[in-house]
Amino acid sequence: MLMPSLGMPAATQTPAAPRLTTQEALLRKRTGWFFGMTGDQFVKYVFQGNAAISIVVLALITFTIFRDAVGFLPQNHANLVIYRLAGLEFVDIFREQVTTHSTISRYLASAREQQRDRLTKKEGLSPAAAMAQLAVFDDFANRFSDTISDEETILGTMTDLASSLKERQTVGEDLAEGKKKLLAAKRTATPERAAELQKQADEIQIETIDFKTEIQPLLAMRPQILEANAKLLVEMNALAANVPKFPDPAFTRKLEKFQGFVQAYAGEIKTAEAKMAAWDQTKPVGRLEAFNAFAFGRKWITGSSSWQDWYGVLPLLSGSLLIAFLALLIAIPLGVAAAVYVNQVARPAEQKFIKPYIEFISAIPSVVLGFFGIAMLGETLRRVSQSPSLDWVPGFPIAERLNATTAACLLALMAIPTIFSLAEDAINNVPRSFREASLALGATRLQTMIHITVPAALSGIMAAILLGFGRVVGETMVVLLCAGNRIEIPDFSKGAGVIFQPVHTMTGIIAQEMGEVVRDSIHYRALFMIGVLLFLISLLINWLAQKIVRRYRISIG
Amino acid sequence: MNPTHVTVPAIFARPTLAKRVESVIFTLLRLSTYFVLLCAAFIFWDIGTKGGAVIFQKSAPFINVPFLTEAPETLNVFEINGQKQTMGARAFRQYKAQHADELKGAHIETYVYSAGGIFPNIVGTLLLVAGSMVIALVLGVLSAIYLSEYATDGPFIRFLRLSIINLAGVPSIVFGLFGFGLFVIALDFGVSLLAGWLTMAFMVLPIIITASEEALKAVPKGYREGSLALGATKFQTIMTNVLPYALPGILTSSVLSIARVAGETAPIMFTAAFVVRDELPWQVQKWTDFFFQGVMALPYHIYVVATKIPQNEYTRDVQYGTAFVFLFTVAAIALTAVILRTRLRKKYKW
Repeated sequence: MLMPSLGMPAATQTPAAPRLTTQEALLRKRTGWFFGMTGDQFVKYVFQGNAAISIVVLALITFTIFRDAVGFLPQNHANLVIYRLAGLEFVDIFREQVTTHSTISRYLASAREQQRDRLTKKEGLSPAAAMAQLAVFDDFANRFSDTISDEETILGTMTDLASSLKERQTVGEDLAEGKKKLLAAKRTATPERAAELQKQADEIQIETIDFKTEIQPLLAMRPQILEANAKLLVEMNALAANVPKFPDPAFTRKLEKFQGFVQAYAGEIKTAEAKMAAWDQTKPVGRLEAFNAFAFGRKWITGSSSWQDWYGVLPLLSGSLLIAFLALLIAIPLGVAAAVYVNQVARPAEQKFIKPYIEFISAIPSVVLGFFGIAMLGETLRRVSQSPSLDWVPGFPIAERLNATTAACLLALMAIPTIFSLAEDAINNVPRSFREASLALGATRLQTMIHITVPAALSGIMAAILLGFGRVVGETMVVLLCAGNRIEIPDFSKGAGVIFQPVHTMTGIIAQEMGEVVRDSIHYRALFMIGVLLFLISLLINWLAQKIVRRYRISIG
Repeated sequence: MNPTHVTVPAIFARPTLAKRVESVIFTLLRLSTYFVLLCAAFIFWDIGTKGGAVIFQKSAPFINVPFLTEAPETLNVFEINGQKQTMGARAFRQYKAQHADELKGAHIETYVYSAGGIFPNIVGTLLLVAGSMVIALVLGVLSAIYLSEYATDGPFIRFLRLSIINLAGVPSIVFGLFGFGLFVIALDFGVSLLAGWLTMAFMVLPIIITASEEALKAVPKGYREGSLALGATKFQTIMTNVLPYALPGILTSSVLSIARVAGETAPIMFTAAFVVRDELPWQVQKWTDFFFQGVMALPYHIYVVATKIPQNEYTRDVQYGTAFVFLFTVAAIALTAVILRTRLRKKYKW
């Protein structure tokens, strides 16, 4: 239809639309009906807009959790400043010294328990006879724990002084907050109401605390402490020199150890005294300290508004990592073995059954797994651990039904499908020719597998393991239900038995405490800080996994 | 040459050491694979038998209807005339009115949520899943169409893919935190269906996008080219020649993500789930309230009954019963997806 126009319009005709050349017609800029877009263009932008949602969501996640988390640092800084100004830090130095003493007392008590058990069970003494044998020891232990009584009295007084000072400060802050609210309300109120509000605000007297003078009574206790400590040292040394003698060599060894503790404790007293002498209330709290208290803090203590809140992530991080490590220890061999087996060894019928089955496992809801752990697995594990024939296993018998291992077993079951399907994919992607070449050279199937197939798929398997790790670290319900939820750094000095201790995790603490915290409080923000940490860990894992895959991808061809 | 020496053909030779090692290793691999399957089977068996005993009955109607149609109640356990009695809160109130003096001084133990059923929880879970899947499917499928049909490689697309991959790795609790911070607090939805829907929709978005894109990419290029060559616009081509063929694949992926959404607890813990709520979701005053109400949900209920009440003979029924209903609903959804996929793989081979 398109013909070059000849430029000869008939005079009688109305001027027609100018005819275009083929080229012009094709190159003509089409203007559409919708904001200058054609239908197709418009549709494209709708699709594009939808796709951009993922970017928006990621940005929103980043923004939301970071926004609520950043406030943590200044708030924690203020928290630490009060800790120093009100002398709580000073008291805690002394408290530590006193606590160590009671730890030694506890050591004596536990040694006594063990000895009593030995006497009654192994030597067949009646409980009363065992008690009689241990009476000398009990007397000794009591005398030892009495040596600290002076210090405890002093500590009590100091605690009262410091916490009342902190209390006054918090009350002052609350009042200031209330005043601010009143004044803010005044701006929008009617004139008479405003005047009333102003009056109310003026009535609020905020006490300004001069920490320097207020702290003097606390500091004045130093000589008293020194005196008490000197007395304590003398008494303790006298006791340690006259440890009662027992015929049992194991028990004697324990008492010798006790003497070592006492000597070490004398050194600790000296350092505590030096610390208290050097303690300086006016020393400023650095900005970095607020962050360090989170990232390297060994204590997570919240909700105890009377003394001091600590937001250290280490107990939670170490718990998360311990569980993840254990879970992977189980999941990697099983997951990779299953992947290799299904891809290289299994018959087609087996393949058809196993692959969907394992995929199906990943659909088991985590909360059901957690429930299974509480209702079944934890108790079963503990009962097994109590059988006398397994006494040689470190950590057996298990004290707590819910512990790191219970959670790790279930998490392993969750990580196996992830590891399995990704690793199986990776093995499947190894070109057939590699395998065939190896077989043609006379290698057995096993040799081919070990030397050719698995190494060629190794990058994919590594990525699978990494993503399995991500899945385990980010899992919430199982650890919340089964890990035991004790907020403490696992005690690695116990050797391999550490895996049977209850721990708490980063995901678990968010799920557990988020529902109860006051909005915008320091605790709320601390939980968001943990969320940020989890988010960053997940990004790091993703990045690493992609990097590994890209870097070691075998070029085919 | 020694005449007694007989050469044996290689086929009849005893297996070499390498062969024997191989068969041992293969057996080990097989054992560890079946060990995994066995572990999972044990969990299904344990919850299946103990929970099944709660749900199914020996006599008609064979299914424990009250458990599926009533709201949770507090269970009262007391001893009267030397007989142990267990009663739900409503029945107990009536009983108490009639037998007030007999009950005087009787020791009454109470267990929350241990009587009645889990009807509101089932309803809540269904609502949560349905809403979030609608949102996620619309967003996800449209994104996938863009990625597979329109996008040409460039910085925008690369960034987009990076976001999708990273979004897929973000732990669900972080999604929960995000939903709480953004929808519940910043946008002031409160603990509500809407907040839960959006949070979960965003959580499964990457799964749906990736799977749908794969399904779209699997449609042969010739289908598109044929349509375009006949003068159809791109949009017409997609509607008539691409989507219909990709639909089964998209369906499969969406069924799988339903299982994922239904199974998650962490994201709804602070965005949508209530521990207990007396009204059912449709008992609202204004229709807009519907979106801004929290609901009870099965997974959260399991968490609550597993942690907040002691484990004993009286509470076991509700614990295992809820776990049973939840596990086998999710498993049924997942099974559908798996079967659907194997069927489709056989049917569509381009």
